[in-house]
Amino acid sequence: MAAKPRVAFFDFTGCEGCELNQLNFENQLLDMLEHVDIVEWREAMDDRPGEYDIAFVEGSLSTPDCIKRINDIRRRAKVLVAVGACAVQGGINGMKNTRPIEEVREEVYGKDKYLFPTLPALPLSAVVKVDVNVRGCPMTQLEFLKVFTALVMGKQPVEPNSAVCVECKLKENECVYEKGMICLGPVTRGGCDAHCPSFGQYCTGCRGLVPEPNLKAMEEILVKHGLSVNEAWKRLHLYNSHELEGLKS
Amino acid sequence: MDLKFLASDRVEAFVSHLMQQKTVYAPQHTGKHSVALEKVDDPAAVILDYGRTMQSVKKFFLPPRDELLSFDLTDHSFTPAAVEPLDAILLGIHSYDRAAIDRLDYNFSQGHPEKNYLTRREGVVWVGVSFEPDEFHFSGSVGISPHETAGFDAFLTRVREGYLVEVLTDAGRELVSGFELPPAERPKPAPGHFHQHIFLPQAKLNEVMAASYNNEIWAEMAEKCVGCGSCNIVCPTCYCFNVEENVDITVTGGTRERIWDGCMLREFTEVAGGEVFRGGLAERQRHRVMRKFKYLSDKTGHPWCVGCGRCTAYCTAGISIVSIVNRCVSDFEERHTTAM
Amino acid sequence: MKLNESVSTQEPQDLYLPVMSEVLEVKRLTELETLYTVQLPGGRDLGHQPGQFVEVSVFGVGEAPFSISSSPTRQGVFELGIRRVGLLTEKLAELKPGDKVGIRGPFGHGIDLEKFKGKDVLIIAGGIGLVPMRSLINYVLDRRDEFGRLIICYGSRSDQELLFTDEIAAWQEDPDVDFHVTVDRGSPQWEGKVGVITTLIPGLDLDLDRTVCCVCGPPVMYRFVLLALKSRGLPDEAIYMSLERRMKCGVGKCGHCQINHSYVCQDGPVYHYPDLKSLEEAL
Repeated sequence: MAAKPRVAFFDFTGCEGCELNQLNFENQLLDMLEHVDIVEWREAMDDRPGEYDIAFVEGSLSTPDCIKRINDIRRRAKVLVAVGACAVQGGINGMKNTRPIEEVREEVYGKDKYLFPTLPALPLSAVVKVDVNVRGCPMTQLEFLKVFTALVMGKQPVEPNSAVCVECKLKENECVYEKGMICLGPVTRGGCDAHCPSFGQYCTGCRGLVPEPNLKAMEEILVKHGLSVNEAWKRLHLYNSHELEGLKS
Repeated sequence: MDLKFLASDRVEAFVSHLMQQKTVYAPQHTGKHSVALEKVDDPAAVILDYGRTMQSVKKFFLPPRDELLSFDLTDHSFTPAAVEPLDAILLGIHSYDRAAIDRLDYNFSQGHPEKNYLTRREGVVWVGVSFEPDEFHFSGSVGISPHETAGFDAFLTRVREGYLVEVLTDAGRELVSGFELPPAERPKPAPGHFHQHIFLPQAKLNEVMAASYNNEIWAEMAEKCVGCGSCNIVCPTCYCFNVEENVDITVTGGTRERIWDGCMLREFTEVAGGEVFRGGLAERQRHRVMRKFKYLSDKTGHPWCVGCGRCTAYCTAGISIVSIVNRCVSDFEERHTTAM
Repeated sequence: MKLNESVSTQEPQDLYLPVMSEVLEVKRLTELETLYTVQLPGGRDLGHQPGQFVEVSVFGVGEAPFSISSSPTRQGVFELGIRRVGLLTEKLAELKPGDKVGIRGPFGHGIDLEKFKGKDVLIIAGGIGLVPMRSLINYVLDRRDEFGRLIICYGSRSDQELLFTDEIAAWQEDPDVDFHVTVDRGSPQWEGKVGVITTLIPGLDLDLDRTVCCVCGPPVMYRFVLLALKSRGLPDEAIYMSLERRMKCGVGKCGHCQINHSYVCQDGPVYHYPDLKSLEEAL
């Protein structure tokens, strides 16, 4: 049998919730370790070698140092996996992109702002080539395991990209629009098994926009249901500022 | 016709009587407004007076996730999935959903008859119930009355004090035997009126739809549609599926499953290499509607829409299939009159 | 008509179970394409027609349709010419002789050989369109006296991407085959024609009364080839076309390959051109 793939985990700007979720596997963690050698993982260990077959990267890029580090990881990784909303689409950190960067810097660091260089929060894909996305805030264990097994088998995982609505309809969830809530499900990528609507909550759009989103039609949906278009745009920006910026230009 | 009477206060006892014979699936509340067909554990939970379930009985014969086989990656062997007859009583089914099953039966028995679906279809006893058409139902326009009994073994028609019971087949007779039902004291009432209508019968729609291929309606709908695919997923006569591989975390085996798919989704026509044959929402909307009112009806003489109203009721964008078809009809008639 | 009157009376079948078959040979054709020789259990004959396809699967990876490249005249084994473009084909490229793949089929409507017999056969193949057309070419060559002339037009993006180069060399040598080839972009070593495939058509020596033509290539090619054939005066009735779609189940159920009212996996992939005119989405 060929040598086990060498796997490394890295984090950038984010809450590390996705990484915690990776450690939370309990039942499957040992099965996973059968198939791979974990060579770098700050959250779980502390020595570091040089090259990786698979690099799982969490968090968005928000400082000049991040850019240097991600380029270095990319050079050393055969497969680079973006994990979670921050790494995939910039995530919540991207909200700062909607304001002047100096203003944000001053608000956060006050008079010491010159010690902390900062950039607009970027998804990994804005700087390096990303091979696989594991979406969500946080990423789900089930999906991470699917991606993990696919990569161990040496195949490209299939990324779900139809809307959350499909999964709600399969589960016969009562549409949260009928309960008077703004739901971003119609333009948000599924693959989460409609987790939030299944528990009576609206979709916050954490998995990013569907390919070729029809945002004009989305606005009409809100108007038809007597809901605030303004509020919906704010929520869309929660996770998708970077992507929306891209759609505008 | 031997018409019997089931009083409202005896419905629960009737359901219990059915439960003694076979597993019963019937409409039950899953949310404040929503009703779904579920296995009955508590006879009191059964709802016979309802608008529509989000998913039709299709889900029992063509499950949203359906294992085809399981494989072993160590020796490349596989085991076919065990498929069992449903062997159950389906209670409280509306006539349009029974009509949808006739269409699925056709799809899965013509050409290459499919064992998975046809095996599950076995052993079903159908007990229908009449419905009061709401703002979305239009099955009358496709020839399906709220009182249509075709395909049922027994049928319940709602009256004020309870239900009139028609026993239609031997299986139906067996079902009610041992449960005392007095003869009905009055005949079956007239069915309720529909609030939605397609302007023309299917016989004429084929010609209209053939002439509507380049109608602007498709582009107009594409403006409103988000392409979420809900209309496909809730349709009782949609049967398209995709096939997926699931590998166990141990990487020693897994399953091959088919999962529901829909022609409104972008990847539906995508081939290796990236070519998408119906890339725009206008083309996809057209395909969806043509499949219901032209492509399959040209072949069989029957519309592939049963008028349940689901695609419209569950469309967040409020796109109405009745309005689309009627627009095609009126544009056709307008062209026709101006031409003369 | 009642719906249940038109259904098949055949026993329901296990439609989705593959037959595990052995890969006997793996031959690299170009950087991207590989030719696989496959044998059903016990050397059983596949029983296909040129133009038909099989569903090939690798457990844990997936299943996809591939056209059969060998002629039914060469029994016992069959060949598949496969380009590396996705998940499954990447995995297939790793196969070695002795490995197993799942096979379902053959499926679809192939070439109606009865309509081709006694006629001059014109084949227009673009890119990997040559893979299925090779089945017809070798059928004609193996049953040479049942057909008239064999005229082949083959277009490729570049000379590095030409498929079956040893067979091409043989066809070029064969006085019984009228073979033409062109490439969109030639390397410095390329001495043949440069240009799109339609540039081959005006110069063909055709007997319009006795020619049947089969076209297979990338989606963009069909309209231009049709125009070129029409301007040569070839009647529509003489034209057949093999179309690519996403044939997922192969048995007319899953809906992916549908073009208007037609299921490509049932009515196609090889269509008689007059039948395609009612399918607006086809070309």
